Amino acid sequence: MLTGALAADLAVNGLVTGLFYGLMAIGLALIFGVLRIVNFAHGEFYMVGAYAYTIVAARLGVPLVLALPTAFLFGAALGWVVERTLMRPLYANIGSWGLMRDEYAVIVTFALSLLLVNFVDKAIGPYAFRAPALISASRVVVGPALMSGQKVAAALVTLAVLALIAFFLRFSYWGRAVRAVSQNRLGASLAGIDATAVSSLVFSLAGGLAALAGALLSPIINASPDVGAFPAIKSYVIVVLGGMGSIPGAFIASLLLGIVESFGAVLVSYQYRDTFGLILLILFLLFRPQGLFGERGREV
Amino acid sequence: MRYASHLAIAALTMSASLIASAYAADPIKVGVTVTQSPPGSVVQGTQVKDGLEVAAKMLNDQGGVLGRPIELVVEDTQGLPEKARAAVEKLITRDKVVGIVGEHQSSNVLAGMEVAHRYHIPYINTNGWADAIREKGYPEVFNPNNYNRRVAMAAAETIKKLGAKKVVSFAENTDYGIGLAKGIGEQLKAVAPEVSYRFDTLDRAAKDYLPAILPLRSDPPDVVVDVMLPPAAYIMMNQVYEQGVAPTAKTWFYDASGLADYPDFWQNIKEAGKDLLVFGLYHPKMKAPELAKTVGDAYTKKTGAQPNRLLFQAADSLLVLADAIKRANSTDPDALVKALEATKYTGTRGEITFSSEPGYKYHQWLDIPYVTFQVTEIGQKVADSPLVEQPGQPLDPSKLARP
Repeated sequence: MLTGALAADLAVNGLVTGLFYGLMAIGLALIFGVLRIVNFAHGEFYMVGAYAYTIVAARLGVPLVLALPTAFLFGAALGWVVERTLMRPLYANIGSWGLMRDEYAVIVTFALSLLLVNFVDKAIGPYAFRAPALISASRVVVGPALMSGQKVAAALVTLAVLALIAFFLRFSYWGRAVRAVSQNRLGASLAGIDATAVSSLVFSLAGGLAALAGALLSPIINASPDVGAFPAIKSYVIVVLGGMGSIPGAFIASLLLGIVESFGAVLVSYQYRDTFGLILLILFLLFRPQGLFGERGREV
Repeated sequence: MRYASHLAIAALTMSASLIASAYAADPIKVGVTVTQSPPGSVVQGTQVKDGLEVAAKMLNDQGGVLGRPIELVVEDTQGLPEKARAAVEKLITRDKVVGIVGEHQSSNVLAGMEVAHRYHIPYINTNGWADAIREKGYPEVFNPNNYNRRVAMAAAETIKKLGAKKVVSFAENTDYGIGLAKGIGEQLKAVAPEVSYRFDTLDRAAKDYLPAILPLRSDPPDVVVDVMLPPAAYIMMNQVYEQGVAPTAKTWFYDASGLADYPDFWQNIKEAGKDLLVFGLYHPKMKAPELAKTVGDAYTKKTGAQPNRLLFQAADSLLVLADAIKRANSTDPDALVKALEATKYTGTRGEITFSSEPGYKYHQWLDIPYVTFQVTEIGQKVADSPLVEQPGQPLDPSKLARP
């Protein structure tokens, strides 16, 4: 039975979960917005961040406040390398962006996903590792809800990072360049914007954000080689719900998914928790295929 | 003197050639299916593989079986039933193994044993607890390991002794999890019908169980039972603790999966592990046959790790098969099955025999020893945890420490 206290508890936990989904999904939305590809290895950037934070903090003894940005930088560097080595052939020597080979991106990112999972499995081992928490308190009262100190800290850092990203995209030169390229890559290039550098920046930023999400959650969801699969699937759903490539859409859809899953699991059944997002996805594809903030493509 | 040295050389040469001929003989190939990579439990797979290798080395150091060395042919199942099925098919048809050992996941046993049954090859189930494995009644399948009904009985007795009125289990969505959670309910009906019991099935692949846990905050049960395996179990246990549900002064946390001796337990569980009640198939304070010490020492020498239940289960699986080969004086499947049915072998955990009663008892070693212990400190080794229930004796509530 849904009491007021339980409803408030579910709402707070749903919103916090939604924030974490948002941190993951926004990188994916950025990549789709600029490169028009779906990165199937996005979850593995999350996994890499979780391991980077765990190893740097727990094994090398680096202070936690430094370990977090290290994980972000690690993910960003990996993103940069992947863009330079694997993504460039997508648009190298092709005069028109419309000739981009979608199947190439699917195959390459899927192969990268398998490679990273198996590499970590063999190099570090299959065991799950729990990273040290930013705040070690096991239980913190947040309004009507109880949370671990790490969850509260992770939620606050996530909010701050999302605000920074919004500020960056809206007011900085490179943020405006990202938005311009996502609107029209050719037009942006003709206006003097380096679309290739923007692609590099976006892949690095997306990799860094996913790695940061992995690092923030690694004291709660233990790092293991396959830990990236679940946030990646949520991210794909969120990007479609929010409107392909829309950053505000991805943020709103993340919170919506967190709330729907939280309440649905109690009101309907926990067994169907992961299906609520997919049901939403199907409904959106049927009745609002452009998503919450996406634009309907022109048809002739 | 010269003749003496010639004789000595001849004797040495003959001995060497005799030993060589024994080992030049075709090895007896034994198929092993274990998880060596995700998404299955690699922790379990590694412990089982190490245990089998220790037992195989012991047998080979003693001259092998029927003068032939034992050779383990290992296949990785990734914990996936379809891969387990394919692995058993490959081991039997291509590698010509005389038997299959090692499987440690019920869903995989249920898949692999179908193939073994089709080819009529002995299948020693090392750690599949699901009763359905026994209920199939396949003559080739033998179970010198634990079974769900046994844990269900132990859990029900423990819950009764704790005086609980309301119990909730969190079970993973596998044959093992659902089977054991249902079994606990059935046993509770029999031994403590006044207890209100329900179980929630949780997805092993999920990472957030809060929506299933939150409703317990306002109406906590007397006992929460873990019927999940790592890594999902660790996440669930941490979240149950984080929400203040268990272990608390009101609510016990009973670990029916026996996770506290896993090598990565304390890497993943901190405060949530303190005061945990654990169902255990091995505890260093248990009485055990001499063979357990030999196997345990060899394992520690090989891996540097302390012995664990899966080591002994794995070793016994291979030793029981080797014993049957010796008694049958053959690797013929019919002769092996017959010999296995007549097993009376003192392994690492006691005297192993197989029941011929139908149902969950079929080809099962019924008297598997078990204990209950309580974790009283964070980071505590199993050896240092107090035993609150010795094998064959009822749980002593006066030994329990309330959180």
